[in-house]
Amino acid sequence: MSSAPNSAILECRDMSCLISARPEPLRVLEHIDFSVARRTSLGIVGESGAGKSMLIKSIMGIAPKSVQVSGAISIDGQDLSGMKPKERAAFIGRKVGIVFQNPMTSLNPYVPVGRQVAEAARRHLGLSREAARNRAIELLSVVGIADAAECYGYYPHHFSGGMKQRIMIAAGLVCDPELLIADEATTALDVTVQKEVLDLLQTIQEERRMSLILVSHNLGVVAGRTDEVLVLYGGRVVEYGPTAEVFRNPRHRYTEALLSAMPQMDQPAHSRLRTIPGQPPSLAAKPDGCPFAPRCAVAADICRRVMPPMAVASDSRHRFACHLPLEAQAPMRSPDPIVAQGGVGHAS
Amino acid sequence: MRPVDAHSNPASSTSLADIARAAMPATARLRFPGAGMFDMLAIAFLALLVLVALFVDIIPGLVSPKFPYGDFSQLPDLTLNGLFGTDEIGRSILSRVLYGARASLSIVLVATCLSVSVGILLGMLAGYYRGPLERMVDLYANTMSALPSILVVLAFVTATGTSVLAIMLILGILDIGTYARVAKAGVISQNNRDYVLAARAMGASDARIMIREILPNLVPALTAVMPTLMAGLIITEGSLSFLGYGIPAPAPSWGGMIAASTDLLSRFPVLIVGPTGAIVLTVYALNTVGDYLAQRLNSRERGN
Amino acid sequence: MRPDMPSPAVADQPLISIENLSVQFTRAGKQMRAVQDVSLHVAPGETLGLVGESGSGKTTIGRALLRLLPEANTQWQGSIRYQGTDLAGLSKTDMRRMRGRLQMIFQDPVSSFNPRRKIEDIVAEGLEIQGIERSERKLRMEAALRDVGFSLADVAGRRPHQFSGGQCQRIAIARALAVQPELIVCDEPVASLDVSVQAHIINLLQDIREARRLTMIFISHDLAVVKNVSDKVAVLYMGKVVEVGTGEQVYSRPAHPYTRTLLEAVPVVDASRKIKPAAERMVMPSRNRPPEGCAFRLRCPRAADRCAKEEPVLGVGPGGQSVACHFPHDEPAPNLVSESA
Repeated sequence: MSSAPNSAILECRDMSCLISARPEPLRVLEHIDFSVARRTSLGIVGESGAGKSMLIKSIMGIAPKSVQVSGAISIDGQDLSGMKPKERAAFIGRKVGIVFQNPMTSLNPYVPVGRQVAEAARRHLGLSREAARNRAIELLSVVGIADAAECYGYYPHHFSGGMKQRIMIAAGLVCDPELLIADEATTALDVTVQKEVLDLLQTIQEERRMSLILVSHNLGVVAGRTDEVLVLYGGRVVEYGPTAEVFRNPRHRYTEALLSAMPQMDQPAHSRLRTIPGQPPSLAAKPDGCPFAPRCAVAADICRRVMPPMAVASDSRHRFACHLPLEAQAPMRSPDPIVAQGGVGHAS
Repeated sequence: MRPVDAHSNPASSTSLADIARAAMPATARLRFPGAGMFDMLAIAFLALLVLVALFVDIIPGLVSPKFPYGDFSQLPDLTLNGLFGTDEIGRSILSRVLYGARASLSIVLVATCLSVSVGILLGMLAGYYRGPLERMVDLYANTMSALPSILVVLAFVTATGTSVLAIMLILGILDIGTYARVAKAGVISQNNRDYVLAARAMGASDARIMIREILPNLVPALTAVMPTLMAGLIITEGSLSFLGYGIPAPAPSWGGMIAASTDLLSRFPVLIVGPTGAIVLTVYALNTVGDYLAQRLNSRERGN
Repeated sequence: MRPDMPSPAVADQPLISIENLSVQFTRAGKQMRAVQDVSLHVAPGETLGLVGESGSGKTTIGRALLRLLPEANTQWQGSIRYQGTDLAGLSKTDMRRMRGRLQMIFQDPVSSFNPRRKIEDIVAEGLEIQGIERSERKLRMEAALRDVGFSLADVAGRRPHQFSGGQCQRIAIARALAVQPELIVCDEPVASLDVSVQAHIINLLQDIREARRLTMIFISHDLAVVKNVSDKVAVLYMGKVVEVGTGEQVYSRPAHPYTRTLLEAVPVVDASRKIKPAAERMVMPSRNRPPEGCAFRLRCPRAADRCAKEEPVLGVGPGGQSVACHFPHDEPAPNLVSESA
């Protein structure tokens, strides 16, 4: 289990996802490059159609068969492309836990929740029935379910949405994963419950010394809770860097526009929001250049023709793909200690 | 989204399906997304059957006059007329099968129109207002599906006397319950949809909501069950004619022809092929089309 | 923190007033109380925001207002007066006439359109029902569509699935506007939209509200959105109003512990804040069996014996708003504290 402690837990190098279609393939994701260091958390944000869920599915090896994934994905230093499908599934299952958006459909309504967690333990770890049961009860109490032993036999409909999501987290933790992925895991929940589940994810990540990927369409969910953030737009990484830095000083026009389109609690009533004209790009009609160019206020000719390369900001961990980036602002007063630790595995 | 659709069934348009497509008359050449070879063949067969039923007396020379005098051979000969043999008084089996198609189809179509219209009306009212009407519709549908349909039909026909009208009427009554139940389920599932609520918020009356908002959305589910129920009616009508309670004698009917051929079955087994084949192919084609429509409905409801 | 808050068109007479509204649903023989004893008043031209979590009864109140609750399994008490007329007392025909003045915008724009109808028929629907003449109908449709940034030619002959979610929501707004209503109930109108599209719809609603002097009831779970659009905000918890006041009062000096819990939970993009996960867990009481006394007391950090015995009623809170709490807070909002520090 223990490999080189300094290597990233997850590394994605030049990953692309294509769906073959006529007249030309649909480019769902293009040239995705990022890594997640051990014990750090990464937020992935993007609107619908940005490619968030395809990114996660490709990493987990559960993308539909019609999708061709290219590029290198390695987990815990091991390149996945060299593995046989069965071997790869088992490897990913051991290293990565995942929690999906909808707890109502992820849980089988006719099986007691404890047994669903225990089943996962038996399948992945080969535990005996008794050991799996104990493991499930232990994990249910880890995710904050009181009387875990009693709740073991309850059916999903006995639980609220937030509780079901906790159970899903417990199931995701079965193999003691080194990386937990929460794919829009709190989107369907009420704000107070969402906060509890996010708190739980954060606590567990710190306690268990895991890495965490938080996927959300909501910038607020990711802000303040992750070390780094990856902004996806139209299947491209448009900005990537330390979370506080990206939100404080966004360089890509899209990130900035998205931030200012959100209504803020400290604005007075009836204040006008900044809007982004147009629609997110559709897969079929993706522009050649920057995917955001058709909606960008300052787009120039080059933006429409050439996809901007990833530029590196003065803080070398902050990168963005924009021909006409926003000005860099003065550095932050005191960088957050946790953020400062979060290292990015740089591509050499 | 469209290119993805096109991609998801790249191999479904086989050459034979293309031929079936091309063979269809221009007026009926509609689009059948996702239809496989058998679906297209079934659709083409039914279209052909309807055309034959409509135009059987004006197709000159292709089939014989209505009641040709044959050579009493009862064996197939090499002419088109004699292909399936001739019956005991020398009438061409093929010719009678084609005329029988007209009889069977017209009975089934009229009966279906009756049961669909009454069924939709009852089902919509039951689903919209619930209460006692819903219970009555359920009771009716359950009773009708519990009774063997041939007995119901026989009892009715014995009481009224055999006539084409009586058969149409009772066959129509048979399926009212089923259509009503399908319509009712559709109304109940739509009743809390936002667009119904939106129409209500606009001040639409109940009748307007039922006709404008709900009815159009019942059409797919109803068309999906219709072929299967029609296939059932073809069989019931055939059985009735077979038992001698169907379309009165000199007129050709598939069931009656099967009954007649059984007398000569040991000596001329070929005689049973024409009418039986007609029933089997029609029922099979209708069920295939029903499956295809149901499958298309499902894929559309899954958000395709 | 803004005493010179722009006051909305202040009128003595509320346009709509809800008095002691209670709604119960019957499901599988069991009674469920969705709304309990809610009283709210909205002045002409004012926007009332209703916030609360799922199950708080906000959608039920919105639908009860327009008499859109299913009649079969719903009972309700109380009165809903629109310009003095009790809507409950209206006959079906009179209510239908009244509907021209009260409109609704739904959460999911796509499902609020009949997929089998053309857009122009959908937009004309209300006008046709209200008996507007054909020539006048066309003018009004054009005006309504223009207000949301479309022309009749843009939508002619097309069906709902040919438009994106944001475009559908604009058309839904046009449909509501076409009948020239005085009050619009917006039920989570931006919840299903992307952030970049959401801002556009919010701005649009604001413009239209101003231009047409509309009164709005804005239902949302998103506190930041409600803050932006509302003059007055009512916070609902398990079918009851726990706090109601102007937006400034509720957001900058929230008095009810539940309001504060909600405000604290809102995910905000604030780069300078690193969120420390809370250690203790809260218990969510069952909706069917609310606890005795204050419904929030099991989750409330301030709960005392009195809260279990005596159910708090709405009274004047420290900031001038109404609050239903025995021990209301009298300090600035949690978010504001951390920001000013």
